[in-house]
Formats: sequence, structure tokens, C-alpha cells
Amino acid sequence: MSAASLAFVELVRAPGRTALRVLTLAAAVGLLGAMLLFIGHSLGGMTTSAVRNVPLDWQGPVGSYEAAVDVAARVARQPGVAEADPAATAPFAGIEHDSAAAGTIRSGAGSILALAPAHLARAGTLRFLRGSLRPGDVVLDQQLAATLQAQPGDTVALTPRRGARPLRLRVSGIALVTAPDELFQPLNPLLGPAPAQPPANVAILPLSTFARKIAPALPTLTAAAGASAVPGVQAGTQWQVQAQVDTATLTGSPARALRQATQIRNRVERSLPGQIVFVDNLADNLDTAAGDALYAETLYIMLAAPGGMIALGLAYLAALGTAERDRRNLALLRARGARRRDLFVLAALESIALGLVAGTIGTAVALGAVRVTGSGVGIGTGRVLATLGICVALAAIGALAARVAAGLGALAGSVTEARRSVRRSERPLWQRLYVDVAALAVAGLVYWLTVRTGFSAVVNPDSNPTLSLSVYMFLAPALLWIGAALLLLRLRGRIVAWAAARAAGGRATTSIGFLLASAGRRGAAINRGLLVLGLLLAFGVNLSIFVATYDQQARVDAQLTLGADVVVTAPPGAVAAHRLVERIGGLSSASGVSAVDHSYAYVGPDLQDTFGVDPASLLRGTSLRDSYFLGAGAHQMLDRLGSTHDGILVSKETISDYSVRVGDLLRLRVLDHATGHFHVVPFHVVGVVQEFPAAPKDSFMVTNLTYLEEVTHDPGPNLVFVRAGGDPTALARRIAAATGMYGTSVKSIREQTAQTVSSITTVSLRGISRIEEAFVLALAAATMALVVSVGLAERRQELATMAALGASLRRAAAFLWSEAALVLVASLLLAALLGWLLAEMLVAMLQHVFDPPPDHLAVPWAYLGGLGAAAVLGGLAAALLAALQIRRLPLGAILREE
Amino acid sequence: MTTLPAVREALAACHGVEVVYGRGDAAVRALGGVSLELHVRESLALLGRSGSGKTTLLHVLGGLVEPTGGSAVWHGRPLASLDRAAQGSLRAHGLAYVFQGANLLPSFTAFENVAFAAHLAAGKAAARFAPDALLELVGLAAKADHLPAELSGGEAQRVAIARALAQRPELLLCDEPTGHLDSDTGERMLDLIEALQAEFEFALVVATHDAGVAARLGRELELEDGIVVREER
Repeated sequence: MSAASLAFVELVRAPGRTALRVLTLAAAVGLLGAMLLFIGHSLGGMTTSAVRNVPLDWQGPVGSYEAAVDVAARVARQPGVAEADPAATAPFAGIEHDSAAAGTIRSGAGSILALAPAHLARAGTLRFLRGSLRPGDVVLDQQLAATLQAQPGDTVALTPRRGARPLRLRVSGIALVTAPDELFQPLNPLLGPAPAQPPANVAILPLSTFARKIAPALPTLTAAAGASAVPGVQAGTQWQVQAQVDTATLTGSPARALRQATQIRNRVERSLPGQIVFVDNLADNLDTAAGDALYAETLYIMLAAPGGMIALGLAYLAALGTAERDRRNLALLRARGARRRDLFVLAALESIALGLVAGTIGTAVALGAVRVTGSGVGIGTGRVLATLGICVALAAIGALAARVAAGLGALAGSVTEARRSVRRSERPLWQRLYVDVAALAVAGLVYWLTVRTGFSAVVNPDSNPTLSLSVYMFLAPALLWIGAALLLLRLRGRIVAWAAARAAGGRATTSIGFLLASAGRRGAAINRGLLVLGLLLAFGVNLSIFVATYDQQARVDAQLTLGADVVVTAPPGAVAAHRLVERIGGLSSASGVSAVDHSYAYVGPDLQDTFGVDPASLLRGTSLRDSYFLGAGAHQMLDRLGSTHDGILVSKETISDYSVRVGDLLRLRVLDHATGHFHVVPFHVVGVVQEFPAAPKDSFMVTNLTYLEEVTHDPGPNLVFVRAGGDPTALARRIAAATGMYGTSVKSIREQTAQTVSSITTVSLRGISRIEEAFVLALAAATMALVVSVGLAERRQELATMAALGASLRRAAAFLWSEAALVLVASLLLAALLGWLLAEMLVAMLQHVFDPPPDHLAVPWAYLGGLGAAAVLGGLAAALLAALQIRRLPLGAILREE
Repeated sequence: MTTLPAVREALAACHGVEVVYGRGDAAVRALGGVSLELHVRESLALLGRSGSGKTTLLHVLGGLVEPTGGSAVWHGRPLASLDRAAQGSLRAHGLAYVFQGANLLPSFTAFENVAFAAHLAAGKAAARFAPDALLELVGLAAKADHLPAELSGGEAQRVAIARALAQRPELLLCDEPTGHLDSDTGERMLDLIEALQAEFEFALVVATHDAGVAARLGRELELEDGIVVREER
């Protein structure tokens, strides 16, 4: 009989045994397959999201209208470019509207956006609310239209520059400029994207109309690369070519998409030498996404890898259940003349067959799991086939490793040795080198350093984690995993055995005494179960606590990013003009309201977000934590601000960058809405702020609303923070209904939580944690079942002997379930300790990624209870099955076995 | 006036016992219609080569294997009429085994192996046999706290005998008790069993392939391919 036939016969002859091995391996590789599918899909999703979020991929400055038209046409023909259009931005000095009802309404300076008609096909930067752009006419931005009280059909007079003759233009539409930061940014390809403060007033003109009627009155900004441009103030016309990349060409992870996008841009620039160099908004966004993806990959692997390893340990446990029978079969084959190589070939063929079946089932399980979690949309055939290949290979390798490890005795040197169980006479190298103790010590040291000294990973100014962060932050938890697993191997269950022996109290003479005495001498067997179940449960505890804490911080982060439970953004002047604070405060489920003015100011050359708040009423609408401030608590800081009319809170970066101290005079350049120009205004520093609702992650300032309005002639607050008394989503809907007619946009914390807003919430752990938590529940039950069934397989002769001595079924079964109960109790204790330690360590390592850092770990009690219950139920089910099997044990046949 | 001879009731008996392992073409007949009776304090040797059916017959007598034909009887009651619990109780209280490989429970010490059997035999109310005394009897008091893996083959067999005695057996079934022992140790083992039989007055059945061992017992039953080919007193 050939080896292949023999392998096949072996598998078919014991279908139950084969099914057990297949299912265990399938569960193990299913978990790994699900991880692979999820991570691949997630990274692809990050690319899609990053690309989608870029309203304008490339902007290349050129020197003239003609150059813009010509180069745009050439760029559009390049492979990988979806479209390219000429465009221009320019300042205007003023605009006025003669309204029949209100007389002449004037608005200050603003910016012109001149676009080619073809550009309008793209909706990424502009959204028409009414009308359209027609040759010779103008379209007003929503805010400017509101200020001028202009409607389509009205005529406005636009003054290109101070002293120039006003140009009369018919208003043909009203639009919302959705990406003013990019559209009006200074274009310096050497510096890259530098989103600027968006202009308050925007008028949109057809490019040809602009070129003919307005551009001649304005200077042209140089197109040479490296030309300096100060953000915020544009001195002349910036001709440019705007291009969109064909997104279909950008595939895979953000890093890969970045390479592809950069290659396309380089090719375009090379083919038009000296004519165009682009400011690459797309690459900038993909670069950020690639950093996030690196962090995500590392985080996913850190969270997934232990689960996969433990799942393979389960396959080993399953193989142990048949090890004794395998040993006899192999010993018999050796006695009949089979060489050691033949046995390896046989084991390899068996493993390949098992791997094929288990890998296929595992892939199907993985696909099902990712679909159930809603992550399976768009997984291509290629990725599925790759996952299948990996799952089959892993299952085959796992089956072979488990078979070889479990049946090592049968593969030993001689037939005589093969008949004996293997006994290790010498400790392995890692035990002699105390690798386990060293790993635990280093993990502890890194953790201690982090907690004690605040030493942490590198985070760049945008809070994006870098590679050094990834490697460092996972070192301590990874070492803790390795050290704990190896230490368990070294101890071989001695602690559990010692505890059981102590409980038995010397020579056993009672029923419980016999159970404890037996368990006390089966430390190695108990440890085997403990190693797999304990680490699996620890993995589940660690995962669930970490993810719960992660979610908790994501919510906190969302509130910090959004500003409050519900935030209303209103056009300039609308809050005061329409008494929005009172209107919103009057809604039943709004428990508190506070108005805030969000504007910008220059500290030296740095443009920083500036928040004008009313210290007396701020806490009605939102929450502040003491940790947001340095040197004093939240209430003290608000008191200081309230008592100093020109007081200002500045960020730590500003304090250090400009050598400012509390009490110093700080001169800022702020926009005077009356003149449209920046002017210098004195403030006094009253404190240092690290975080603030709705503020960005880096530098910003907080000052008194009344003082800010005085010095900027601002028409009033443009944000309203609302504290929800009930469901924020419902409240947001009610507020939108009550204030929508005044041009407000309303957002609730629920929407914000669901969005990608910062480094920590960029990576969603929801999908991966659901998959893993489900697998852990199933595997915990399966592990307990395996612990009992392996115990039965190993102890069948012992149990048969007990039966021959007259022991009842219940008494014999008690030896199995009591051992399983010990494994379960020890595993739960280990899981509680190790899982908590791991979560604590992981959170500590990621402290600077969490923004703000968590005050405490979040514990998902329901899931943890379910996890324990799954293990108990698995054990109970297995104990019942074992009892039935004991009843059917062929006592005579077993007692004849040697 | 004539006096009727007293009818001795058999302690254990087999009536036309047949045992077939497997089914169809793979079926193997282990016993083919074996009958025997065994009385109190009687000694019987089951002689035969490997595969002749000796162990199967022992297992049938002890209720560990259910015959496919015929019946096994204990104190006049067919074993087939007892459920597994009753059969277990019977083994715990009157019917003990000494296996070829001793079959000590590996996670119990010598003392605990004996104590466990005594515990099973004693039930809840009855007084227990002293395991220490039994180990003393077989000369292993000094090794009471040793695990089976720490005992020699002969020592393990002596513990197995002490364990069997803890069950206060009426019938001791020994399966090749000297099979794993050298001849001197084997002789001493048989001496011990005979001495204990005299002391405790149990009936004894020894399965062996050794004619010398069989000759030491009062009665021989030779099996070949599951059939009794010779019976000698």
C-alpha cells in the first residue's frame, strides 16, 4: 500500500478523530484568515477614504491664463490623470449690492475663484445651492450672498483692487465652496500643501470672464517653484492647473497607493519639463493615511497574533487527544519495517489532506465572519484565493507540527524507544537561559520606564504615530505574552498541583481527597489545558478591555474634537441676529447652551485657531477636564480668563516656541472684519491650555468672546455648544429643524464618533474586535471540550481500571471534570491577572496616542461574563459527552491494551 | 435411611459462553461455548497460548465482557441480569482482579491505590480495610507513598494484590500475574498469592501460558482457540 493510500485510510478509518482535528485546525486558521481578510480590507478602505477626502488632488501654479489653459490640456492627456482644468484665484477689494429693500449693502475684501466650465462637473470643491455659473456672470458664496442679501438675478458691483473701477456682474447662482482651505492655499510645490485660512467672502467667476475683465487689473503671482507665499493674504492672481488623479489606478494599502500616486505625478511633471510642478494634496493625505495604516497594521497584528498562536496551540491539544493511538499505530508500522522517513512522509501526507479540508473550511468561516461584521464588502476573488492558500498552508503546517510534537515518541530513534512515551531528560535551552524570566523582566522595565518617567513613543505634531512608535509601544506587551507563556511551560502546572496536593492534605482516603490527590499529580496535564485556555481567556480579557478603553477614548476624543454633545455651526452673525442660543436653549432636551466664536489669529508667522468664549457660560454647553490645562484646573483657568478682559490661554507649544510666560503681553495679528485686514492687538497670557473642545490637536488659543468681538468687529459667535439632556442624535435633529432656515449645520457626538477624526479613531477596532471576540468565545468553549476529551483519551485505561475495581460511572467521570474544573479556575485567575496586565500595559504604551489619555481602563463586564460562561458551558457539554463515552468504554479491550 | 449429599452452589459459572469480537468478515471468535463452575476457595488455572481466550474468559467471569452467547453466573444470578452499576458494585465487593501489567492508577501512590479500592469496597457505612496493613502484608509498607512509576514490576504486582485484597474478594481473577516478572520474582508472587488465599479463603482463577504455574493450582482448564480442550483436577 502506498504512503498516500495509507494516509487516506488512516484518516477515513477514524472519522471522529479526523473530524476533531479538521474542526480545530479550521477554527485556528479561520481566525487567522479572518484577520488577514479584515486587515487587507481595512487598509484598502483607508486608501479609499483617504483618496475620497481629497477635494482637489493636484494644484500646479503657472504664469498666465494661456499657460494654464495649455498646460491643463496637456496634463489631461497624461495616463493616470482623470481630468485637468485651468483655474485662478485672486483677491478683490470689495463688493456691494444695491438692494431695493435694504439699500446699498457693502462687504469687505474677499477672494475670487475663477473656474473653467468643465470644472463644474466636479463636485469636490463646489456645491451649487441655487442657479449655475454662466459666462459673464458671478456666483456668490452662501455667506457672501447672505451678507449682501443678494439673490440670483440681482446685480453686484465687484471692485478688484482699491481704487479700481467697480465691475458690475449679474448674480447667476449661489454656491457653497466646500474646500476653501485647499482652493485658496498659497501654491509652493517645494513646501507642499499649506491649507490657509479660508476667505470670509468668495465670488466665483467663469475663468474666461475673469481673464478678460478682472485679471488685467491685478498683478500675477509668480509661477516659479519656491515662490514665497504668506498664507491668508493673496496679493495678485494665482493662475493654476487643477488636476484629479484617476482613482481606479490607486489600489491596495495607503503606502502602495502613495507610491502609485507619486509615480503618476512624477511622470506628468517629467513629460512637461519646466512647465508645471504640482502641490500634491493627494500625496499629503495618503502619506498621513500610510502612517495611520502602519499604526493600524501593528495594532491589528498585536491584537490578532496572540489569538492565532493560541488557536494553533488548540490544534496541538486536539492532536494530543489522538497521540496515544497515533503512537501505537506508528510504533506498529516501525515494527513492521517502516523507516523514520516513511513515517514523516505519512505524517506529511496526512497533514496536507487535513490542511486542504481545514484550510477550506477555515477560509469559509473567515469569510463568513468578516461578512457578519460588515467588513466583507468588496473583498475580491484574488484576496479570497490568497487567504485560502495561506489558510491551507497554515493548517497543513499546524497539523504536521501538532502531529510531530504529539507523536514524537513514535518517531524516535529505535522501535523500542518508539514504544515508550518520550521523556525529556534535559531542560531545553530557553529554560537554561531563563528566557521567560528575562522577557518578563524587560517587559516590566519598559512598562516601569513608561509609567514612571513618562518616556513615550514619538508622536509627530499632527499626533500621527510613526514607525518608532509602533515598534516600541508593542515591545512590553509582546514580551509579557512571551514571558508568561514560557513561564507557564517551565512551571508545568506545579503551582496548581501544589495547591491541589495541599488541599488533599496528605494521604487521600476520601472521595474528594482522591480527586485532589489525582489532580495534584497531573500538573503537566493541567498545565497543558491552562496554557491554552488560560492564555486564550487572557487574550479575550486583554482584547475586550483594550477595545472597550479604546472605544471609551474614541468617544471622549469625539467630544473633544466636536466640542460638545451637539454643536451648531452658524453663518457669521446668525447666532446673534436670530437669537440662536435662546432658541436652542428653549428646546426640551437641551440641558445647556453656550456660544463660541471660532476665528484665527497670527502668533508671529503661525496662524492659530482662536476661540472666543464666555467663561461664565461655557460649562453650560460643554465639559472641560482639569487635564486640559497646565498649572491649574479647568474652573481656575476659566476664572482667570473671566477676570482678565484681554486674557488669553495659549498652548504649550506657543509658550515654548515664543518664550512666553503667564502674565506676559502677547501681540497677535487678528482679522478686522470691518476693514478686511489683519491688525495687531494686545492680549495677556493667563494660562496654558493643552486641549479644548473643538480645538485642533496642535496650537490654538482661547480668549474672552467680548474682547475678541471688540478687536475683530466680528458679527458674533459662529458655534453653539449644546449639552444634551437625552439622545444627542434626536436633539441634533430637533435643533436642525429649528435653526436650519438660518443656514446652520448641526452635528451630534454620535456622528462624530463614527467619523475619522484623529489618530486614535482613525483605526476602527470594531470589526476586528468583534471577529476576535466571537472566535475567543467559540474557542474557549472548544478548549474546555478538548481539555475534557483529551483527558478522557489519555486516561481511558485508568478509567477502565477504576471500572474494573467497581467504581461507578459518576465516580470515574468525577476525575475528568474535577481536573477540567481546576483548569477552568486556574485559567480564569490567570486570565484576569494577565489580561488586565496586558491591557494596562498596552494602554500605558499608547498613552500618547490616546488623546486625551484615559483616566482608567473600561471593563466590558457583559463580555467577560459571557467568556467565562462559554468556557463553563463548553466544559459542561464536554463532561456530559465524556460521561456518555465512559459508559460505552469497551472495558475488556482497553484493559488488554499495553 | 439415606442421606443426600450436600449440593455445593457454584460461586461463579459459565454456561456455553461464546464471545465474538467484530462483525462480518472481520469477526473473531474468542470463546466458543465454554462451560465451567467454580466453587468457594477453589483454585483454577486457565492454561493456553496467547490468543487462546484465557483473558476473555476471565473478563466474562468478572462481568467486564458481555458474552455474545451463553451466560455467566455469579452466586446463581446471571450477570446479564445486572445493570452496569450492579455489576460495578459486585466487582467492588466480591470480585477482584490482578492484571498482567498491574494496572495501578498512575496518579495514586501505592497506599492510595489500595485505599481507593478499599474505599470503593467499603461503601459509605462499612468499616474500611486498613491499606497500611495490606501493604504490610505484601511487604511494601516502606513504599506506601511511592507512585507506580517509582515501583519495580514485582512491587507493582504486589500492590495490585494488596489492592485486590482491599476489596475482600470471594474470587480473585489473576491475568498472567507473573507474565512481566522474572522467574524468581514470579515464583515469590505465586507463593504470596497462595498464602493469601489460605489466609483470606477466596477462590482463585489464574490465566497463564506457563504449565508450571498452572500445575501449582488445584485444577487446570486448557483452552485452544476459545474451546476447552482439556480439564484436569
